[in-house]
Amino acid sequence: MNRTPPSARVALRNLLIVLVITLAAGIYAYGWTVTDIDLEKPQDEQRQTNVQNALRELLSPRIFEQDRKIITTTTSFLMDCEGESPAAPESSDDPYVRVTPSCGKAGDVVTVEAFNFESGVQAGIRWAPVEGQRRPREVLETGRKEIIIDSTGDFKGQIEVPRISGSSGQIHQIEFLASIPSGPVRFSKITDEVIRRMAETIFMALVATSLSIPISAALSFFAAHNLMRPVRVPVGNLMMAIIALPIGWLIGVNVLAVIGREAINFFQGDLEVSVLSLLPIIGLGTVAASRSVVLLETPSLSHRLWAIGQQLVFALILSLLIGVIGGLSLVLGERLVDFADSIRPDNNVGLGNWLATAVVDGINGTGNLLNIIGGLIELSMNSIGGLIGAFILSSSVTNLTSGMLRSIAGVPAHLLGGVMGAINGVLVFAFVAEIAKSAALLSLLTPLAAALFAQQIVVLGHAAWRARQKKVVLSHVERIVRWLIALAAAATAFVITFIQLRVGRTVIDGTLPSLETIDIMGIEITLYLLNAMIIGGVLGSVFGLLAGTRQPFSIGNVLYNVTRNILNGLRSIEPLIMGIVFVIWVGIGPFAGVLALMLHSIASLGKLYSEQIETIDEGPIEALKATGAGHLQTIIYAVVPQIVPPYVAFTMYRWDINVRMSTIIGFVGGGGIGLLLNQQINLLRYRDAGVAVLAIAIVVSILDYASATIRERIT
Amino acid sequence: MLIIENLTKIYDNGFKALDRINLEIPDGQFVAIIGLSGSGKSTLLRCINRLIEPTEGRIIWNGVDITAASDDEVRQIRRHIGMIFQQFNLVKRSKVLTNVLSGRLGYTNSLYSFLNYFPKQDRQDALANLDRVGIRDQANKRASELSGGQQQRVGIARALMQEPELMLADEPVASLDPATSHSVMKYLELLNKEDGITVLCSLHFLSLARTYAHRVIALKGGILQFDGLPTEIDENRFKEIYGEEAIEVAIS
Repeated sequence: MNRTPPSARVALRNLLIVLVITLAAGIYAYGWTVTDIDLEKPQDEQRQTNVQNALRELLSPRIFEQDRKIITTTTSFLMDCEGESPAAPESSDDPYVRVTPSCGKAGDVVTVEAFNFESGVQAGIRWAPVEGQRRPREVLETGRKEIIIDSTGDFKGQIEVPRISGSSGQIHQIEFLASIPSGPVRFSKITDEVIRRMAETIFMALVATSLSIPISAALSFFAAHNLMRPVRVPVGNLMMAIIALPIGWLIGVNVLAVIGREAINFFQGDLEVSVLSLLPIIGLGTVAASRSVVLLETPSLSHRLWAIGQQLVFALILSLLIGVIGGLSLVLGERLVDFADSIRPDNNVGLGNWLATAVVDGINGTGNLLNIIGGLIELSMNSIGGLIGAFILSSSVTNLTSGMLRSIAGVPAHLLGGVMGAINGVLVFAFVAEIAKSAALLSLLTPLAAALFAQQIVVLGHAAWRARQKKVVLSHVERIVRWLIALAAAATAFVITFIQLRVGRTVIDGTLPSLETIDIMGIEITLYLLNAMIIGGVLGSVFGLLAGTRQPFSIGNVLYNVTRNILNGLRSIEPLIMGIVFVIWVGIGPFAGVLALMLHSIASLGKLYSEQIETIDEGPIEALKATGAGHLQTIIYAVVPQIVPPYVAFTMYRWDINVRMSTIIGFVGGGGIGLLLNQQINLLRYRDAGVAVLAIAIVVSILDYASATIRERIT
Repeated sequence: MLIIENLTKIYDNGFKALDRINLEIPDGQFVAIIGLSGSGKSTLLRCINRLIEPTEGRIIWNGVDITAASDDEVRQIRRHIGMIFQQFNLVKRSKVLTNVLSGRLGYTNSLYSFLNYFPKQDRQDALANLDRVGIRDQANKRASELSGGQQQRVGIARALMQEPELMLADEPVASLDPATSHSVMKYLELLNKEDGITVLCSLHFLSLARTYAHRVIALKGGILQFDGLPTEIDENRFKEIYGEEAIEVAIS
């Protein structure tokens, strides 16, 4: 086919290579310029001396300290040589100092010599005028910063006679101050501080990692495509469940949360009364939970109703129990803190007292933790009640109506689907719009949701058309056409919503959408929300009409994509940036660091965990499905045993990373050793900074090794 | 009685794995399904318990249309259909006993399985079933510590926990050596004879089908090529099923 002569082809290829190389060179040159690379700077002598000094100090960490004693040896000096010059001191084996000449006027350069000192001793020279007239002043030997006695034990240097008015004829003293180490060598103050901060850092990492584990483990199941892809529910059931969610939430907030709060208040009172009144609740809970172990063959309606009744009782008991736990945590926490205070020893001198203090601190800490848990429950009781209500009602309603929905087919199913779809669209868009109106970038969510809906409508419509045509296999062209139509529909929906909700203004001005309200039948509603709900209703009804109620909908795919995208988004934001936000929220300190690391760990571990799920052996899943096990059972018996070792390994790995990260999160105020390091660097105390750097290096490499070893053992 | 009507499966990529299969399998029969790799044996078995959704056609078992069942109903139906696999599909890190007990999950309340609780009766049955396949003494070992033949027997014990009326076996001996193959096949034969469980077993070796099956079904490219007694397969039939160049090898 190819008739081009070989030489021409080779020439063409060479030309292409030259072009690519030129282009690459151009890109590289641009990179060179923007990164401000300047080979002069590193050669600058002043800069070289600076970096050498800084490095020397960093590599000479002030780990130990020793007190110093100053020994002053003096010699006399006659100003302006008016009178008899003082005699030079006699040479002896003891330390002594000599100045030659021993008289002179201001500005003269004289030689100071010191003999018989210990080598390596630091020293300084002071000029002391006549006592009581002037304070001694520091004089530096010319061209040197500090004086260190050399190995012979002697010193020789030159100083300039200072200008002191009215001193003519006076005898001044030249003081040679030798600073001699004395007393025991001990850890420096900065070492103590570094050790304390390092412990704080390690615990920050530990707390952040352990708090993120349950959340990311739960999320990881939703972010694993092999588990989520097969999850499909009939559209009708899904729509029923979504309609029930807000109703359940309202019931939860108004009934379950009230019960929970009452429980907190009651159980916060007297511990003994609380424990006694707990017994009947436990009994009742056991009764409610004792559903038959063995599942019935075909549950009748009355059985379904009974099961739903049990579920409602379960919701009540659960809210009550959470309230009880909250109340008990508060009262128990307080008792523990009081108890700890009552037995705290007066001092921690001696090993026994030191140990007792540690135990008391432990009790105190546990009490505080319980208090925090109780407070957290008290604070979030509304949401807890709402969530329980929403999920229980949603599952009960779905359970009750699924049979009815299955029995409806044909046109009525599509009509019903249209009505339910409209309600669903309104609900979903109201929810999305609530989020979207809080910030300019988030305001793009509503048009995006509309685009997704439109795309799904095209896919559904195409599937319905295919079913009617009895076409099973899609040709390549059909795929492309469907993709193009879906894209066009999505774009249209996006643009219409964008214009209708004036998202453009929001994005350009960075302001929130106008909250102009309108009165519909006595209910005040913002125009923004109303518009969003109308768009949602229209899209939802089209969707429902097309889908009917029986069409399976891959809700698993939707959940997978949403979870994946959230995890990826969170992961792309560095913990340092998160740290800045949390410092604004909760103030400077380790708490902000913990929150930042936790959020990042959730995203990161969620991703790592889910990738582990995706690589498991799917055989057992298939086998358990074949036995008639449910989704949850399959996960517990076929998935969990396979993922425990890699989960432990990745958690260790994450802890390792978190220690590393928490060493620098202090730079933005996140607490830990980074805060200390930042302070020392800003104060130019490089020797102190060196201690922190050394500690980081030691801890990180130990953890690195430990986590690698443990991971190797497990997997 | 298992009735398969007009069963067709076309995968999303357009591959036609089954093409209008019609079968009637009376209770208590031992049926071997033979054919080349990719002839649709696995797909046929998996359509029966809906691990794979058929594209068209119906499967009616004991008067219930499996293909029209809702998700909940499918789970109810699957409880009575045991299945064993070529790769055994055990959870390798779990104990043998746990693997066997997991065959009972369809009968157990989710809340209790969450707490790893099985009724005492189930635990006794699990040990009894392990006893039946001759590996009761291995109950507390990890599944991965067992040999291939033993693992497949764990698979059988797990399926037995379901108290199945129908057993689907997807190439149960394809990863085993000849001696072990016979021992596993003998257990299937035993279940068929003693418990009256209908067995549908896909096999690579015709010799195994001849030894154990009442009836042989042959698939070729998703089409039912042969349905009859094992003795009816002569050299010509063999070449029809496996292609002109095939030579029959026996497993002894």
